[in-house]
Amino acid sequence: MQMTAEEKDMNKVAAESSATREIFLPPERERVKDGGIPHVSAKNFSVFYGNFEAVKKVNADILSRYVTAIIGPSGCGKSTFLRAINRMNDLIPSCYTSGSLMFYGEDVYGRYTDEVQLRKKIGMVFQKPNPFPKSIFDNIAYGPRLHGVKDKKALEEIVEKSLQKAALWDEVKDRLDRNALGLSGGQQQRLCVARTLAVEPEILLLDEPTSALDPKATAKIEDLIEELRGSYTILIVTHNMQQASRVSDYTMFYYEGDLVEYAPTKQLFTNPRDQVTEDYITGRFS
Amino acid sequence: MADRPVHEHIKDLSNSLVILSDKVLKNFTGAMEALLSSDAMVGENIKLADGEIDASEVRLEEQCLVFLALQQPVARDLRTIITILKINVDLERIGDLAVHVFERTPEVSYEFLKEFRFDNMGEVAKDMVQKSIQAFVNKDRKLAEKVCDMDEELDTMHRAVFKKVSVELREARADTNQYIIAMSISRYIERIGDHATRIAREVLYLITGEIIRHSESSFEKLIQSLKD
Repeated sequence: MQMTAEEKDMNKVAAESSATREIFLPPERERVKDGGIPHVSAKNFSVFYGNFEAVKKVNADILSRYVTAIIGPSGCGKSTFLRAINRMNDLIPSCYTSGSLMFYGEDVYGRYTDEVQLRKKIGMVFQKPNPFPKSIFDNIAYGPRLHGVKDKKALEEIVEKSLQKAALWDEVKDRLDRNALGLSGGQQQRLCVARTLAVEPEILLLDEPTSALDPKATAKIEDLIEELRGSYTILIVTHNMQQASRVSDYTMFYYEGDLVEYAPTKQLFTNPRDQVTEDYITGRFS
Repeated sequence: MADRPVHEHIKDLSNSLVILSDKVLKNFTGAMEALLSSDAMVGENIKLADGEIDASEVRLEEQCLVFLALQQPVARDLRTIITILKINVDLERIGDLAVHVFERTPEVSYEFLKEFRFDNMGEVAKDMVQKSIQAFVNKDRKLAEKVCDMDEELDTMHRAVFKKVSVELREARADTNQYIIAMSISRYIERIGDHATRIAREVLYLITGEIIRHSESSFEKLIQSLKD
């Protein structure tokens, strides 16, 4: 995204006015033990909507092939941070960023970064299932076709593999030509995951993927995250704290744009270091 | 910030634990009085109260399990409920040990027991239990650590009884039975101190989130006490 001269000035002012915040990284010991490599690395990374700093100078490494949950009250910046990773915020005219956000050593907001290629590597699933009004097959084949896969056999393989990874294959293999909108909500959401997996991403961004689903469909999505753990780097924004504690390895807690605490999930939910985190997760809202 | 009903509920569970600890301490005090003054009147009361203690312990455990299942607490709330569950078990055991002390009372003479300083041991054990519960109520780390240190004092007293009994038993005219009972009483009181120490460590977990049982220093202390 190109910034205007005015925006650049605002960017600079904001960067100077905010004091440098503490760097939140999982402890070195944990990282060595787990063998994790940072997949996404934010340094003094801020996201602004006009003058409003929605994400404030975040310093964090997202570890490769782990599940990281992002929690916090509404408006705390968690979705903004998630959407910043594959530049979904580019669609909002007043939105701009400062600091750096690196994806495997490449600047996500670099001048020459190709958003289309970036979004191929960093897939996203949204709160409400949003299949295309097309057949199940075409939904999955849409991305690969866009990226130049023409061979029918190759497409069939991709569709089967993606649906299997999303734990949907057995339920839909006999009706791939049916309209995807005829599937149940939970199936539609898994279809969206399969559609994302079809273009072989490295990172999956899940923005409240189960908030529109019933407990059974939610359990299937959570099982799916468990299946995909270790193969993909997964970030999940959720309002359901039990879900965050069930599915994630690490948890980030955002509050009013600040990354207040970032720690192994088992630590954050048993013995958080920060009083604000403690108050939020135990339901002591001020 | 006003407490929400869920947090009031945790307070209620904590209060139930404190009430249980009062009952247990009262029973232990009664058992020690009976031991040291041969007052038969307290006897029935102690056994009745122990039945009540057992029932309260089961009730409190059930309430905590229901709370865990329905409220799914995390962080401090989770640690509080887990700590209550653990202290609950320790208090019930202290109650049992108090009854054991009481049950030995008719078998020994009051004059014979004067040879041992069970009044002192009883006071230290009682103090440890009181302080450990106080540490729980006030989330007082220093007090909890003090209770852990006090255990050494009680152990020393117990070892003194052990030495005295082993010396006396070598004498041909010693009343073996009486000495063995004295040894048992000393052991019961020392065990009460151990449970108070466990409670104090559980309180340290509640405050710090770290489990310090069987840590290196406590293991070394154990080895050292075995050598002594």
